[in-house]
Amino acid sequence: MTAIAAAPGRLAGPPLVTIIIALAAAAFAVLRLEPELVAISQQAPGYDIRQVVLLYSTLPRMATALLAGAALGLSGSLFQQVLRNPLASPTTLGVSAGANLSLALATLYMPGLLGFGRDLVALAGSAIAAGLVFLLGARRGFSPFSLVLSGLIISLWCGALSAVLVMLNDRWLASLFIWGAGSLSQQSWVIPLSLLPKVAMAGLLAWLIVRPLGLVELGEAGATALGVDTARLRLLAIIVAVALAAFVTSAVGVIGFIGLVAPIIARLSGARRSGSVLLWSALIGAALLWLADGVVQYLAGAFSDFLPTGAVTAVFGSPLLLLLLHRLKVRHRVLPEQGRILSRRLQASPGLTLAAIAGLALLVAAALLVGRAADGDWALLQPDLYIDILPLRFPRVLGALSAGAMLAIAGTILQRLTGNEMASPEVLGIGAGATIGVTVTIFIVASPGFGLQITSAAAGALAVLGLVVGFALRGGLLPERVLLAGIALSAMVDAVVGVLSSTGDPRAMFLLRWMSGSTYGMETSTALAVVAAAIVLVTAAASAHRWLDILPLGPAPAAGLGLSLPRSRLFLFALAGLASAAATLCVGPLSFIGLMGPHLARECGLLRARPQILGAALLGGGLMVVADWLGRTIIFPYQIPAGLVSALVGAPFLMLLMRRK
Amino acid sequence: MYSLKAEVEQTGGAAKAFSLSGISFSVEHRGLLKNVNIAFGAGEISALVGHNGSGKSTLLKLLARQMIPSSGEIRFGGHKLSEFDQRTFARSVAYLPQEVSAAPGMTVRELVACGRYPWHGALGRFTAGDSAKVEEALALTHVESFADRLVETLSGGERQRAWIAMLMAQDAEYLLLDEPTSALDIAHQIELLGLIQRLSREKGLSVVIVLHDINMAARFCDRIYALKAGAVVAEGRAADILRCEVLERIYGVRMEVMPHPHLGIPLAYVC
Repeated sequence: MTAIAAAPGRLAGPPLVTIIIALAAAAFAVLRLEPELVAISQQAPGYDIRQVVLLYSTLPRMATALLAGAALGLSGSLFQQVLRNPLASPTTLGVSAGANLSLALATLYMPGLLGFGRDLVALAGSAIAAGLVFLLGARRGFSPFSLVLSGLIISLWCGALSAVLVMLNDRWLASLFIWGAGSLSQQSWVIPLSLLPKVAMAGLLAWLIVRPLGLVELGEAGATALGVDTARLRLLAIIVAVALAAFVTSAVGVIGFIGLVAPIIARLSGARRSGSVLLWSALIGAALLWLADGVVQYLAGAFSDFLPTGAVTAVFGSPLLLLLLHRLKVRHRVLPEQGRILSRRLQASPGLTLAAIAGLALLVAAALLVGRAADGDWALLQPDLYIDILPLRFPRVLGALSAGAMLAIAGTILQRLTGNEMASPEVLGIGAGATIGVTVTIFIVASPGFGLQITSAAAGALAVLGLVVGFALRGGLLPERVLLAGIALSAMVDAVVGVLSSTGDPRAMFLLRWMSGSTYGMETSTALAVVAAAIVLVTAAASAHRWLDILPLGPAPAAGLGLSLPRSRLFLFALAGLASAAATLCVGPLSFIGLMGPHLARECGLLRARPQILGAALLGGGLMVVADWLGRTIIFPYQIPAGLVSALVGAPFLMLLMRRK
Repeated sequence: MYSLKAEVEQTGGAAKAFSLSGISFSVEHRGLLKNVNIAFGAGEISALVGHNGSGKSTLLKLLARQMIPSSGEIRFGGHKLSEFDQRTFARSVAYLPQEVSAAPGMTVRELVACGRYPWHGALGRFTAGDSAKVEEALALTHVESFADRLVETLSGGERQRAWIAMLMAQDAEYLLLDEPTSALDIAHQIELLGLIQRLSREKGLSVVIVLHDINMAARFCDRIYALKAGAVVAEGRAADILRCEVLERIYGVRMEVMPHPHLGIPLAYVC
């Protein structure tokens, strides 16, 4: 069991902490409002625009921040207690992302539903997301780690789909984009007043289950022995927590990390019993969000209506998560969770290799030659058009192929190294690092060329890789730490991009297109460079196959066999990092190929390291070619980026795979 | 290349394989081992016994270079442990941790082949000689019958034997075994310890083994070292250790000893 170790006596009690945060928030509020207050008090009674703003915008916004913060704090602490998982929260479990996606879908396709009940739509989305996360987590005994990873996958998937929606409907969804990132700005009292009874009701329910919840801390068997129906209690607590998160998302969008941080602060400051943790989490959450919103308004000044507070809390929340990671005691597992035992094994033979390569060649040829003609009909490419069309299609097919192969080997390495089948470059945050590199560049240079894009993306990817490895080195390169550090970083990077994008800048669309992984602009020279990188990295990974066979045996046996753990891990992490950085340049940070490739290879019966690596590379490359082709043809004459297609198809597929275990 | 056997022959058998001087080990200011001085012999089986938490496994991990002592010095064949590079050390000393993984996706034969890593390294060829060693290890430990089954489908006892087979394939002269019999039934315990004894006699292997059962230690080991709260409280041959007052000192329980009716070795039992 993992737990955040309480530090008794080191920090003052929860009331003091709450008061300090609230005082700071009040100070910011006064700082901002003082001129207005002075002006209003000096005015003769009558109509004054500043008074209207104060009464119908500033005060409602403050009330909303307090209510939303309290709801999220309560929701997070319910999740953490009932799952006994110190990293659980609406953000990390994908609940908020689910609500967000369902609202976006309803806005576009079934606006009537919103009239029927915005909260219900959000609730449905959250419930589905939470259900999926728990389904995946239940297979692994609700281990804290796999729950958070499942939540992250759901969040990524919802994010990918939202991105497609925004791209296809950018005229209508611009406001949704800002709102989705958690904007607290208000024009009236409607939202806080409607939020209040809902939060109060959920709070009442939470209060009713405080006592049995305290018994759950004793552990399943102990609680059952004392006559608590733990299954029903858990369900009830989770329903309350999901509902709270959904209400907040429906009212103000996704507010990152308050639900994670508030309970942690409550516990660190000395709250121990269930009831007091719940109470103080809610109060600290309220004060925290109020403070965050005050800081955002103070710093952003006139732009504060467009700068979503939710995205800003995520920017500051993720580093905090990073700092708290060392408190998460990761009990070392020699065994990865017992996976399904695959008795079917494929022996790598020359015939098999040849067949696989022939299959891939056929696929590439099909992707090059089959497409849509100008009138939209399906057609084989006519030979007289080869000269014109092939130079356009060839680079992107090659780029997709190499990128898929590199992501797949990165995924294989990470999964073998961490003993965690959910590991992948998407999760390590390397793709997100490349994105932030490009983001920074386009905000400095108006329209960077492809070369500059690549350089900045590589710099960003390597910086994240360096941070992750450097951070993890302090913890002795424990695989769990590496992955959690990666998650925290990628959440932070996403948040930064969210903040930058939501300023309404036209560059946001460029960024979004880049993030969704378009092979559209690929040139021949770039494609050839990517192919060369893929060949080198796949060869290097395949020749490190003995390390990849031995390291999963556990650190003690591996060291006993004379393997240098730090050196081999560093080499393999660097390899995975480089491969995913290079791939991200072509297909964006969101594709799930790095997760799917290794699994598919395993399912085919390629269990040893070398066949799995080569098989995953072929399968990953092939999948990416298919995704690229689908994206090019399926809604002709429009295109969906290859990265998004693979993410949208890949995530559900992966969940089916996991379910089967 | 370093060879313990050569070193022992040169020094006329006098070289002690592992010598520990003033070894202490502590974690977060909690002393797990305090000033341990032991010279483990070459060519014999040494047992480490003691109650839970007495520091047996920690001591073995220090010998295996899995951890670095907080103070003191460990020498192997006269050389400091830090002087060996990783693979050279692994060619001489093989270590079996207490918990072994299910080696997902590997057959027993493939697991055993991993034992050849110190010899061929990351990129070297897996030669006919390597595969001969693997077959020999499979035969020695009687696991041929399930050599082509997946390790994850084996029972706990079979899995433990598969790992011992891997250690055999490693072809080291010194074995460090952390409770290798914990998952075995009594018949397999006897069989495995008998195998280790046989290998030690026939191939001149040296073994340090952590055991829970004092009678097993007395029966199969040449020398017994007893630890209590991180310090050595008794050492010697079975006859020296299996005495009422010594056992009480080690385990804190009143025990008596009687001779084995047939074998003549001492047997301890709790009163």
